[in-house]
Amino acid sequence: MLLICFMVIILVPLWNVIISSLSSGRALAEGGFIFWSKEFSLENYRAVFNDSTIGQSFVVSVAKTFLGVITHVFFCAMIGYGLSKRYIRGRKLYVAMGVITMFFSGGMIPTYLLIKSLGLLNSFWVYIIPALFSYYDVVILMNFFRNVPDSLEESAKIDGAGDWHIFLKIFIPLSMPAMATIALFNGVGQWNDFMTTKLYITDQALYPLQMKLYEIIVQSQTQSMQNIGGSVVIETTTKGVQLATIVITTLPIVAMYPILQRYFISGMMLGAVKE
Amino acid sequence: MIKMTKVLGTKTLKPALLLMAAMLVAAGCSSGGGNTKAVEVSLDNRYTVDPETPAWQLDKKSETTDLTWYVNADWWNTDFGKDVVTKKIKEDLNINIKFITGDDTKLNTFFAGGDMPDLLTIFDSNSPVVQKAATWALPLNELAEKYDPYFNKVAAADTLNWFQLKDGKTYGYPNYSNTQADYDSGNIPAKTAFVIRKDVYEALGSPDFGTPEAFRKSMSEIKAKFPDMIPFGFNAIGEGTGSLGDALQDFIGVPLETEDGKFYNRNLDEDYLTWLRTLNAVYRDGAISDDSFADDGTGFEEKVKSGKYAAMLLDGTPQQGGNLQIFMSANPGKEYMAVDGPQSTVGHQPTLNQSGITGWMINYITKNCKDPAKAIQIFTYLLSEEGQKLMNYGVEGLTYKSNPDGTVELLPEVKDLQLNNADKFKKDYRMGEFMFFGHDRHKALSKDAFPESIKQMQEWGKGKLKPHFILENINPDQGTPEARGQTAINTNWNTTLVSMIRAKDEAAFDSTLADHKAFLDKNNWSKIVEVRSEKMKANKEKLGIK
Repeated sequence: MLLICFMVIILVPLWNVIISSLSSGRALAEGGFIFWSKEFSLENYRAVFNDSTIGQSFVVSVAKTFLGVITHVFFCAMIGYGLSKRYIRGRKLYVAMGVITMFFSGGMIPTYLLIKSLGLLNSFWVYIIPALFSYYDVVILMNFFRNVPDSLEESAKIDGAGDWHIFLKIFIPLSMPAMATIALFNGVGQWNDFMTTKLYITDQALYPLQMKLYEIIVQSQTQSMQNIGGSVVIETTTKGVQLATIVITTLPIVAMYPILQRYFISGMMLGAVKE
Repeated sequence: MIKMTKVLGTKTLKPALLLMAAMLVAAGCSSGGGNTKAVEVSLDNRYTVDPETPAWQLDKKSETTDLTWYVNADWWNTDFGKDVVTKKIKEDLNINIKFITGDDTKLNTFFAGGDMPDLLTIFDSNSPVVQKAATWALPLNELAEKYDPYFNKVAAADTLNWFQLKDGKTYGYPNYSNTQADYDSGNIPAKTAFVIRKDVYEALGSPDFGTPEAFRKSMSEIKAKFPDMIPFGFNAIGEGTGSLGDALQDFIGVPLETEDGKFYNRNLDEDYLTWLRTLNAVYRDGAISDDSFADDGTGFEEKVKSGKYAAMLLDGTPQQGGNLQIFMSANPGKEYMAVDGPQSTVGHQPTLNQSGITGWMINYITKNCKDPAKAIQIFTYLLSEEGQKLMNYGVEGLTYKSNPDGTVELLPEVKDLQLNNADKFKKDYRMGEFMFFGHDRHKALSKDAFPESIKQMQEWGKGKLKPHFILENINPDQGTPEARGQTAINTNWNTTLVSMIRAKDEAAFDSTLADHKAFLDKNNWSKIVEVRSEKMKANKEKLGIK
């Protein structure tokens, strides 16, 4: 019973967002509906998709999310694997340095200067390279790798496997739940991120979906400010466009969730069992 | 730190700290950009300066000049050269502009990174960026002298004077800067009005709203007769006071300064407080909705669009023009109209405000500008009669025609597009939108410049405008203790205002007001008044007011 109540609390607003995004501007302005709109309309979506460059932004978004996630997970796994070995020289220093980055960051302007001197301004790689490393994720992977019995590694070594072989063929397949978790974290982050674009990108061709939609929303807000002396009945309202945007940007990432979900469940089980 | 030492152990901490120190030193040593020396361009083979001809007509530079122009507004349309207006600019000046947009965050990174654009437009003339313009921008007077003396013919001397920094030079030029002459000409329309829906007004037999008693009575009648409507609305409060602060004070003509020319706290004016008490009574009668205090700009606009308010104190009628027009078109005969609203209880006349001499956006040519000669030509071009008409009405013969009396009129097919296909109109023509140097006096040239819905309101406001120049840019400088006090006081006043209107009885109203007065004393108010009075004095000197 409690669960059903809880579900209703979550689902009703969600449904309301979807249905509101499918309403005409007039119905939305009048308001007063929860489950079914008074006037069905696709205008809000038309307003969003009207932008000719939105397809390109979608490609940028998908590319940066896909490439970003793969490189990030692989890179963090490599470092995490290395740091999980107690015999690595200077390990404590590396860990300490990593921990410091968890507490302090350079701040916006020094980061901007760094990105600038690396020549990453207005480059697609600004989405990938600075996002490669996250010490937080490294810690999670490091701990996961430590749980893999040493004996496995030893036996592999006896069979003649090198470090790369052990890492790729034994540790990675065994750590899929952790990898999937980090992939999802990072994927959602990459998908939703628009600050990177806002700060470092001025070339419109490199705008991801989020930035494009941010622009559409801001412009729909100001459209009414600039007094175009027309008597046109505008079919969309700022709120409608915002809602349509929410639906469009959330849908792909929500669709990804069921695919990755099975890893989570096994991940939780795995963490729960003690030898 | 103690905790961290425990976690990491002193052994690891030492090298880490050393490393951090080294990084800091390295970062400190690297050059910070900025303060670059301005580019000198040679005018040989291009043109000889002539004070009687705009330089853009003389310039023979054959290759197209590429310029980047940063606009500190996310919503700015970055297209260039595709629509009628910018295409003409592109052709006439032989330039290609790449617009970059952003917000304050991006502006800061630009300044920090040192890679400034060629031209820069910002909005806040009180910001430190403007105060320090001498370090990053080129002085317009010198540029004009060197490359384009015609600039001085098209720029308003008062405006240049107003923006002069302490070194005697002017670096930025704003749009919508209205001088005393503009006010005197009568070409500036009012932007504040007390409006009421025509059907409501007629149904109630044209009631009076002038005195506090009449106002309260009329609002109660609206509530009784039109229970679906919110009797009284006002601009969204948000971070400011909506239209219940300065706008209401101007409406009832609260004085701008004390009799001896010092700063006057208009918020505590007795006349104004009488009206706030009235609003409190109206609220207690249930004629002001609680939603009005929580609505943001969008929420307010949507209520305007659907005609939810019976009456409104509206500030910024042109900004609401589109919304009012939508309601007007959908509900003929019910449109909002301006009537004489609240009036002073002590006999003051309204002193409505309009954009002052500070204007809105301010444009700069930075020291990094690749071709300052071309940049000042753009300023001259856009400020000239020709450029102004282009921005507002497009190209003569193609989009508008001139009438013998000096007014202009959009051609029928363009007008039709404006009315029926706003998106296409915006995309293909972009008239009235490229307003870096836009100006009210050119808007007054045509009937087509404002939507039908607000014309009656502008008509109503004639003769009620009074410049507020002396009160412009008088806030304490950012970073000073007074500025911090000021910010705290503003926030406190906003909540006080809302609490007073929503007070459950008169005693609660009075105690909230008393709290605010105590807050003023605690936050250095007398010092702030001193700073402001000083700045008002400086303003008067600049404007030549005694």
